[in-house]
Amino acid sequence: MRSWINLLGGMLLSQISYGQEIDPDLVMAKERLDAIASFEADLDLTVDISFVNMPPKSAKMSYQKGKSTTFSSEDFILIPKRGLDFSLSEIFKYSFITVDRGFEQYSGRTCKLLNIIPTDSKADFSIASLALDTLTHQVIFSEINTKKDGAYQMLMSYDDNQQAIPGRVEVSFEIERIRIPLQYMGKEVEVDKAQMKAEGLRRGRIILEIEAYDVQLVK
Amino acid sequence: MRALIWSELYKLVHQRMTYLALAAILIIEGVVIFSAYFQGNTILDILLDNLRDSFYFEGNLLNGHLLVYLILNSLWFHLPLILMIVSAGLLTTEYKDKTLQMVMLQPVNRTSFLLSKYVVAIIFSLGVVLVLMVSSMGVSYAVFGGGDLVVYLGSLNFFPHEEAFQRILWAYGCGTLTVIFFSVVSVTIAVLVRETTIAWIASAFFLIVANLLLKVDFGDGWFGKYSFVKLNDTWQQLFYQDINWTQIHTNNALILGYTLLFMVIGVIVFKRRDLL
Repeated sequence: MRSWINLLGGMLLSQISYGQEIDPDLVMAKERLDAIASFEADLDLTVDISFVNMPPKSAKMSYQKGKSTTFSSEDFILIPKRGLDFSLSEIFKYSFITVDRGFEQYSGRTCKLLNIIPTDSKADFSIASLALDTLTHQVIFSEINTKKDGAYQMLMSYDDNQQAIPGRVEVSFEIERIRIPLQYMGKEVEVDKAQMKAEGLRRGRIILEIEAYDVQLVK
Repeated sequence: MRALIWSELYKLVHQRMTYLALAAILIIEGVVIFSAYFQGNTILDILLDNLRDSFYFEGNLLNGHLLVYLILNSLWFHLPLILMIVSAGLLTTEYKDKTLQMVMLQPVNRTSFLLSKYVVAIIFSLGVVLVLMVSSMGVSYAVFGGGDLVVYLGSLNFFPHEEAFQRILWAYGCGTLTVIFFSVVSVTIAVLVRETTIAWIASAFFLIVANLLLKVDFGDGWFGKYSFVKLNDTWQQLFYQDINWTQIHTNNALILGYTLLFMVIGVIVFKRRDLL
């Protein structure tokens, strides 16, 4: 009798789960982002990692819908692996459900906080949180817990309420500190990485200032 | 004094050992460039290993600046060693060939004679460092081009092209003072031991001990901060993000002071000693 009740309960729960609608505000934000066919922009990158001293760098950024974002620069630049997916295509790539977590303040704006939980095992993140400005349908904050690359946060600000692409993005992530011998020629190149990584994780930040947009919308 | 210096320069230019030493230095430089190029990627892999998890890299770090920096790291032992052999030879050959007695039969002041040896040793050291700097930078930049320089000194320091070039020039300047110090020391050792082979061994021993002690942590006491063995890598200070110029000027002033001290010791001993 108990097993029948469990089975019935399980079926009911699964129906609720599959039947759950995606938050309408997220749908609107996604539609705005989906409307971008391509864009090019100038980028200023500032790296803020305690053990990296790098002057601010400039680069050109180029995005085409369905393709990886490309960068070019005359200098050596560090491009964050995560945090440049302004179209949120990685999140929307596989099926997911949303959970409304109410409203919270981000950068002085009242935002709807949503949890996004993928329902497809192929998704490379386990859970994501998005803070949406429901008036402008702009994504203000996101925190994505990936399956392989740890967790990272993005705080976005926009030049005006019409912009779909942020003018400033602050990407925070966890990074391992590493110790390398002063002399790294010859045999001293062989270093114990496990020992070097013993100091544990530190937080790193990269700030992207995006300007001179040239956005092409889907016709 | 000027005539003595010209005379010593003439001897230096006309001795085979000078060219053998130059050839040896250039061969070592070639080997270092070759190994630096092949080790460059491994070094960059180690330096950037943990950044690779979070970042893609755009641009080339295995460039002329990195190679020159690696050359700088490896040359401050080989270069002084060869220069010490040549510098010590400036005096020991005079003892060996008995030409010293002949010179001293002339109206030549002993102090001026020895000072001319020191001056020529310094000129030779300067010339060799200049040749080395021009050739290493010339080859590295011509073959591998410019770009940002990455250096690990407790933190990963990235320097843009122009800044990297300037810092490398300053580093060569600082390193030259160290090289001059060792050349002067070798002339003083030649005064003390007179015999060519013993002078070479003593000079090499002095250099090896100085290099070994450089790596020993003596703490923040006087010896740890101001002894000459701790001043030999002052050039590395130029690759910290914020350059401590006070420290660099102090270290350079000290190394010049030690150089003068060894010259004074040499002159005093040379004046008091029997030449036979």
